Amino acid sequence: MSTKTDTGSADHAGEIVVEAVTKRFGEVVAVDDISITIPGGEFFSMLGPSGCGKTTTLRMIAGFEAPDAGRIVLQGADVTHVPPPKRNVNMVFQAYGLFPHMTVGENIAFGPRIKKWSREETRERVADAVRTVRLDGFEDRRPGQLSGGQQQRVALARALVNRPAALLLDEPLGALDLKLRKEMQLELKDVQQRTGTTFVYVTHDQEEAMTMSDRIAVMNGGVVEQLATPKELYQRPASAFVAGFIGTSNLIELRVDRRDEGLLAMDLGEGQRILAVAPDAGGDPTLAVGSRGAGRATITVRPEWIKLSTGEVGDRACHVGGTVVDVVYLGSVTQLIVLLPTGERLTVHRLNDEVGTEEPRPGQQVMLHWAAEHSYVVGSEPGAAEIARGVVDATPAEANST
Amino acid sequence: MAALQESLGIGVDDKAGRGRRGPRRPGGARGAFGILFAPVTLLIVLFLVPFLIMVQMSVVRFPPRVDSGYTLDHYVEVLTNPLNPHIAWTTFTIATTAMIVMLLVALPLAYFMVFKARKWELFLLLALVLADELAPVVKVYAWQVILGRNGIMNWLIPGPPVEWLLYSSFAVILTLSTTYITYTTIPIYAAMKAIEPATFEAATDLGAGWWQQARKILIPLAAPGIFVAMILVYIPMLTDFVTSDIVGGTGSYMMGQRVRDLILGQGDWGAGSALNFLLLAMSVLLSLGAYRLARLNRIES
Repeated sequence: MSTKTDTGSADHAGEIVVEAVTKRFGEVVAVDDISITIPGGEFFSMLGPSGCGKTTTLRMIAGFEAPDAGRIVLQGADVTHVPPPKRNVNMVFQAYGLFPHMTVGENIAFGPRIKKWSREETRERVADAVRTVRLDGFEDRRPGQLSGGQQQRVALARALVNRPAALLLDEPLGALDLKLRKEMQLELKDVQQRTGTTFVYVTHDQEEAMTMSDRIAVMNGGVVEQLATPKELYQRPASAFVAGFIGTSNLIELRVDRRDEGLLAMDLGEGQRILAVAPDAGGDPTLAVGSRGAGRATITVRPEWIKLSTGEVGDRACHVGGTVVDVVYLGSVTQLIVLLPTGERLTVHRLNDEVGTEEPRPGQQVMLHWAAEHSYVVGSEPGAAEIARGVVDATPAEANST
Repeated sequence: MAALQESLGIGVDDKAGRGRRGPRRPGGARGAFGILFAPVTLLIVLFLVPFLIMVQMSVVRFPPRVDSGYTLDHYVEVLTNPLNPHIAWTTFTIATTAMIVMLLVALPLAYFMVFKARKWELFLLLALVLADELAPVVKVYAWQVILGRNGIMNWLIPGPPVEWLLYSSFAVILTLSTTYITYTTIPIYAAMKAIEPATFEAATDLGAGWWQQARKILIPLAAPGIFVAMILVYIPMLTDFVTSDIVGGTGSYMMGQRVRDLILGQGDWGAGSALNFLLLAMSVLLSLGAYRLARLNRIES
């Protein structure tokens, strides 16, 4: 009895295709020629700083904004010009948008009643949705009598009860405190897996996206910087922006002194060097110019991959000395800031997995090493590291907490 | 208006009482009393005393003297005079129609101001306040100019002049509807201002059309504002006599005019006061009813 169009075929169940979509607000290009394919049943996140176009993209999928160019395809059917009530998707809003004058039960039953489902079916599905979000016994309360987390669950149930092909979530946990947010993250993921519904999730919190998502599109300036699994994003960031936005990252400007055996190398004298795996032939052309002394590259290395060394290290390992300038105990790890002779500061994380490990003190000289495979080239444009550092600084502290 | 002032007076007294009972700040009680002393005294002198005089006038035997004694004759007369139910009915229909007209204008206007006007919102708000700042008598006379036999409306309408535009119930309803539009719109505007815009997007997302959204979301959430508007506007319309005097006809003779004519015209202070007291009592009942409805609909948050 759904009033929404269910024209999609079975092979496209829950699938969302965003095809070369552009959206402008006056002079500002909010979304710039984005193409994304989200298979059915996936937990997909769009991650990026405010103004990156993630919410606009979500609202275009929901139908609240019309794209200036491109198509939105839901379950194999073009819905670009279909109004929101006729699309088989539902949205969970950041501000919840609960109906304050209705009880929890009436809120959840709103969609089914509009769609004129039968009385029994409505009651059954509402009860089912209430169970799914664990709100049993709260049906007769009003939203104002619930906590933030419970209100969030009502919003979730009110959308889920319509059995949408996809659920669109616009920073739904933004108004909750950190502890509750972490609980709700796990619960959202659980609900998604139990219902098998496609979730499209918008957030600016990288940790939140990493915790829940099957795949993440990292967005910046209206374009997708990288679309990959959380692990891939973390280990093989495609750009300095992604490296800076996902987790803590060191970015080093590499002067390419020599290339051999597929490695780019910067020599620092006394056998010290920083190495990085040269990108594939399909990579950046300025890096592919392998002549001696030519080219610069920005590389990223994660703090936990850098080790303190006492003796010799292998040929394919970076080896560099520096001065400890800061030691911060963070609980599971101790963070060292090491000043390199090149003037760059490296963040190093040492896992605190033994009792009584002696930590270096500020001012002490240390030798560091890490495998060349862990230096990942993210770009060749000068200033990439600065861009990414700016991103890191602009990100809220809790988004980067470990 | 009288009932509203009375409820205001009660409210002020209430607050003073609570201040005196305040447990933790011993200086607070005297402070609250000091602050409220002047306004409470003013209210007693300017409102309560005249009110008590009026009540007394309504029960004093004619001619009103210190030793005249008391009687309920004035009330009996007011309630049995066959003219009064007729006037009451006219007053009720005129006030109710004007109220409905005002709500039909104020609801869309308030909705537009809150959700659609954007940069014009403040301008419209100021325009509404300005419309109220004009002297009421001037506004009524303006309608006389517009609706008269040789007025602007008849100049615009082709054919022979339309007579019923002025000196009729139509003219009174039209004039009253415009006189109190500010007091109808602002409370509804305030109530709608408190509605989260995401509420409407959520309703759209769940498949509700504009009519369902208006009926199931907008009106229930704006209800407290609608009830406040009704109290603010209905009661002054019940007692208004200027409007009907200037633009009304024989068919629009209202309660306010009746009280005025009884007291100032016929010098019948007893009947005038009795009728006035009954009107006041009805206003209080109306207010309580509306207050009750507003409370029932109040959003707990």
